[in-house]
Amino acid sequence: MSRASISRRQALEQVAILLGGAISAPTVAGVLSKPTRRAWAASPAWAPRTLSPAQLELVATVAEHIIPQTDTPGARAAGVHRFVDTLLSDHYPATERDRFLAGLADVDARAQSAHGQPFRQCSPEQRIALLGEMDARAFASSRGEDGWFFRRLKELTIVGYYTSEFGAMQELHVSPFGAYRGDIPYASVGRAWS
Amino acid sequence: MTTYDAIVIGSGITGGWAAKELTEKGLETLVIERGRNVEHRKDYITEHKPNWQFPLRNARLGVGTQSAREYPIQARTGQFHESVKHFFIKDHRNPYVEDKPFTWIQGDQVGGKSLIWGRQVYRWSDLDFEANLRDGHGVDWPIRYADLAPWYSYVERFIGVSGEHLGLAHLPDGEFQPPMEMNAGEKFVKAGLERAFPDRRLTIGRVAILTQAVNGRLPCHYCGPCERGCSTGSYFSSQSSTLPAARATGRLTIVPDSVVHSLIYDAAKNRVTGVRVVDTTTKQTRDYSARLIFLCASTLATTRVLLTSKSPRFPDGLANSSGALGRYLMDHHFVVGANGAIEGLLDRYYQGNRPNGIYIPRFRNLGDDASRRGDYVRGFGYQGGASRQGWTRGGSEAGFGVELKRKLHDPGRWTMGLTGFGECLPRADNQVQLADQTDEFGIPLLRIHCTWGENELAMRKDMAASAAEMLEAAGCQEVQTRDAYEEGELGAEPGLGIHEMGTARMGRDPRTSVLNAHNQAHDVPNLFVTDGACMASSSCVNPSITYMALTARACDYAVGELKRGNL
Repeated sequence: MSRASISRRQALEQVAILLGGAISAPTVAGVLSKPTRRAWAASPAWAPRTLSPAQLELVATVAEHIIPQTDTPGARAAGVHRFVDTLLSDHYPATERDRFLAGLADVDARAQSAHGQPFRQCSPEQRIALLGEMDARAFASSRGEDGWFFRRLKELTIVGYYTSEFGAMQELHVSPFGAYRGDIPYASVGRAWS
Repeated sequence: MTTYDAIVIGSGITGGWAAKELTEKGLETLVIERGRNVEHRKDYITEHKPNWQFPLRNARLGVGTQSAREYPIQARTGQFHESVKHFFIKDHRNPYVEDKPFTWIQGDQVGGKSLIWGRQVYRWSDLDFEANLRDGHGVDWPIRYADLAPWYSYVERFIGVSGEHLGLAHLPDGEFQPPMEMNAGEKFVKAGLERAFPDRRLTIGRVAILTQAVNGRLPCHYCGPCERGCSTGSYFSSQSSTLPAARATGRLTIVPDSVVHSLIYDAAKNRVTGVRVVDTTTKQTRDYSARLIFLCASTLATTRVLLTSKSPRFPDGLANSSGALGRYLMDHHFVVGANGAIEGLLDRYYQGNRPNGIYIPRFRNLGDDASRRGDYVRGFGYQGGASRQGWTRGGSEAGFGVELKRKLHDPGRWTMGLTGFGECLPRADNQVQLADQTDEFGIPLLRIHCTWGENELAMRKDMAASAAEMLEAAGCQEVQTRDAYEEGELGAEPGLGIHEMGTARMGRDPRTSVLNAHNQAHDVPNLFVTDGACMASSSCVNPSITYMALTARACDYAVGELKRGNL
């Protein structure tokens, strides 16, 4: 029998998940303290350290298209753009940071060539169409190098959103402390744990 | 020089046990720890902290990232996250030379790796203790299961182990608290697997996490990430369990921030008489003396101490008349297995973060014809688990906007993963030696040479194929095998299992082993080694509880010998 085998790279990426670390959301009981809320909200003194104000706004705009506000806040309100700036400033190796910034520039270049103006000046319909093209190419069966940026930005948006207080506590919810119940009706829970 | 009855080097899983046993038996005991002090509760600075309070949202800090700059080696393990960074050693404090990739993961604090260990605990059996004798790899263990069984019970009752009784001869049952529950996906795979393979079992992990209170420690509250420290003491660590017991005797002294330079040996008496340490803050040396010394510094750190403790009597390292010291290094090889999806069960879910998975005990080479393999000796077990996909799946599929958000509102389908942990043979050429360089404390570095051999690599093929075969037989879909090993590369290199063991092995013959049946150095009667360095083979099960049982047993023997005037 021939059997599918995932690439070594994928196997490496799965390690952390299998060992229980990568996606286990820490949980909090009860209402969040005021200091916590203050820490989360952007202080007036906050300023990006890697992204320019225009780049920051571009990230916030694209992120909000990926996870928009509905009956719960979206990516912009959750501060995904601030999370991205922190990652670029404090975590990414320089080569990866530069690659990300180049990808960001390419978003505007695509908007220019298609609509004669930067991404943020395009109409919501034009933006969604541009992102739709990028998304389709990024997740096509032959995942090309040119899809790297959109895959990465989408991943960061999702991680940034669902690990934020809005994403983890309002859109989804955290598992309460106490018992472990291994096999319960989904209807009794109603939405995914964050 | 300050004098004690006993000195224990290291405060992790085995050092904590030695401290508890020796103090409870009446010995004034000094515990020497290279790392900083970590106080139970107070120093669990990330416990219960939600993700959004971490600047990087508790990211995995991978090799090459800015955040792992001081941790180029520690960053290789998937355990290395923003929330637990402070429980791993900064690599400049423990440099070593790698001939081939070998990942040395270390704690650097009181409690050592007991704070961040995997907590899976499985007894060895005579399948393991007789393995070397049966197939000729390594030397025969000087003990058998019957020697250790009462000590396993003794340890289990104290640390608290939850798990299921299976009645398997090769994975003996213990003193178990009620097991944790499986989820619907795991129950599905268990039913299908045990139907297709009546001789195989899928069980909930046996884990040193309480489901019932013990000695003031509370049952697990299922917050999830134990490795941040647990204020309710629900998992076993030195902080929650052994060190408080030792402290209660009034006979415990701990000196943190003190790395051992060498042991002091008196050739006329043929005894170790003390320990020389370097204060990691001031770099000054200090000596302590004692009648009895237990080395519990962790496998490689322990062997490094012995290798650096040279004298005219022992020019190649203390207690090394055999030449076996530093040799027969082992680890479990893993990061190989299979994943699959489960159709349906979409009306089932779970609540709480269970810090445990499932276990499939070894089913190869059990001594009967049916389980015998022609392509390799020894065996492997699987750890794994099922879960419903969470929001992370959104990053690997097309789609965005309201539709994506709505999709991620519900959990995705069930998936099941199995990861094999395979036994590694003891081979003389997997060894550590002293390098020419010294570290910032003036202690020679280890040079580590360790590779997987043909037996491990042949076993890995079966580990991947059997995992896939079982998942398919159980009814999983889209089953895929995986193996992160590539020769000379990172991914599944030796050391990554963090089950490094051997290099000061036990044995019957002083000419071929360092320690006797009581973890006592053949050459130096008042010197005992009870951490992973003592192991003569590796089994395929997680080793820590065996280290604990060996430590308790060795302490009992050592104190008896001391009282009889033999040390």
